[in-house]
Amino acid sequence: MKKLVTLFMVTVLASMAAKTVLAADTLADVKKKGVLVAGVKDSLPPFGYVDEKTRTIVGYDIDFINAIAKKLGVRVELKPVTSASRMPQLQESHIDIIAATMTKNPERAKQVDFSHTYFFTGQKFITKKGTVKSLKDLEGKKIGTAKGSTSEQNVKKALPTATVLSFDDYPQALLALEQGKVFAVTTDEAILAGILAKAPNKARFEIPRVQISDEPYGLGMRKGDKRFVDFVNKTILDMEKSGEAARIFNKWFGPTTQFHLQRNFKITAGK
Amino acid sequence: MLNYQFDWSTVTSGKYFDWLASGVKVTLQLSALSIVLAFILGLLIAVMRMSNNKPVRWIAHAYLEFFRNTPLLVQIFFWYFGSYKILPTAVNDWLNSTNFEFAAAVIALTIYTSAFIAEDIRSGVLSIPKEQMEAARSAGFSYLRSMQYIILPQAVRLTVPPLVNQFLNLAKNSSLAMTIGVMELTYQARQVESYTFKGFEAFTAATVVYVAISLVITALVNIYNEKVLNIHKAA
Repeated sequence: MKKLVTLFMVTVLASMAAKTVLAADTLADVKKKGVLVAGVKDSLPPFGYVDEKTRTIVGYDIDFINAIAKKLGVRVELKPVTSASRMPQLQESHIDIIAATMTKNPERAKQVDFSHTYFFTGQKFITKKGTVKSLKDLEGKKIGTAKGSTSEQNVKKALPTATVLSFDDYPQALLALEQGKVFAVTTDEAILAGILAKAPNKARFEIPRVQISDEPYGLGMRKGDKRFVDFVNKTILDMEKSGEAARIFNKWFGPTTQFHLQRNFKITAGK
Repeated sequence: MLNYQFDWSTVTSGKYFDWLASGVKVTLQLSALSIVLAFILGLLIAVMRMSNNKPVRWIAHAYLEFFRNTPLLVQIFFWYFGSYKILPTAVNDWLNSTNFEFAAAVIALTIYTSAFIAEDIRSGVLSIPKEQMEAARSAGFSYLRSMQYIILPQAVRLTVPPLVNQFLNLAKNSSLAMTIGVMELTYQARQVESYTFKGFEAFTAATVVYVAISLVITALVNIYNEKVLNIHKAA
């Protein structure tokens, strides 16, 4: 019996060691497998969502993954993740990279290595038309957002007197706004624009020019996987240089889309 | 999983501990208030359900079937979002200026649980021989007084074990209140997870607290059994 236990322990330790070695070099691993497995959102247009016609996941995040895979010469496998599941999935090596609207922050950077910022947005509000001119108008009010996001802390910092209510998802937050249960709904502008575009009576709402935080999105990779991080960073920097990154932005957010966003950032090293 | 680094300090001190602690407070308030109200309402419904008055009995029966057979989550949404459509604007404005999230959660938990409690109490009452009621009535007690002095004191005693189940369910069901923005324990655990990715630690802490709350409820009822009702556990 004792022998058996020892054998079991040794096996477990050996497999742990093997796994750690594998995990540390995703680049070689992905090339060997011939497939890059990416964790993406599948219900958050236009970052990642299921296209009605083709029944495949498409979006801004997915185009970046495709470009990285193309450079690697491997095919892409997309795995839908949620804000809550994306980290465990990466750490357990179910996915190789996260491209799921993930805001870079120091807390998260302890768990994951981020690429350079590939999308830049800021946290804003949706309100009923004409109710908010400046941040002052939001003081002491109830403000809605969705769970699993970093939006809540940003509001608490910018508006200490406000009460923040986190709903399960944005449609409920918008319903609460419509019923006057909250005075504003807050999250990243790019997501707000998507919500507003889909809202049934969008003429009654607006996104005032009040911004409370910067939200840089990064691609997430396993901690300490330097070769892979360098490769991804170089790829997206090249995409910026060639103009491909700007093309992808305009394809999903530009003037021809329902979002009408201006690209106010560039992918640069050191950010 | 194998590469996961546990870091318990995330949830045992500092900002995230404060979040979880405030969540525990809200969960306790939510559960305690709802347990008291659900018990009172459940008792009332049980008495109505057994009344000799047909319309009263029918109303109680309809109440039971409706609230026992719809999901709690739907009821929470109904009280929070659905009530908006049927209430006048002035009332809505007033509600929205209060902590209506908490109130809606208490209403939903109370009404949902009261339906189960009423049935538990009724089964307790039915197990009391009906001659006792007849004896009480012939001794000059009214129906309500017979219930109050003779039947219910005996029935509640028999009902204690199933009531504990309902209380425990209620304490755990209170986590559904997070769907309408009540910042209770599960809500805070999820917040901690989304800020730090320390989900295992946050939810382990929450689990420990739920187990502790459940054990305290069970212990309180056991004390009540022994000291007040003088029921001693069978050897």
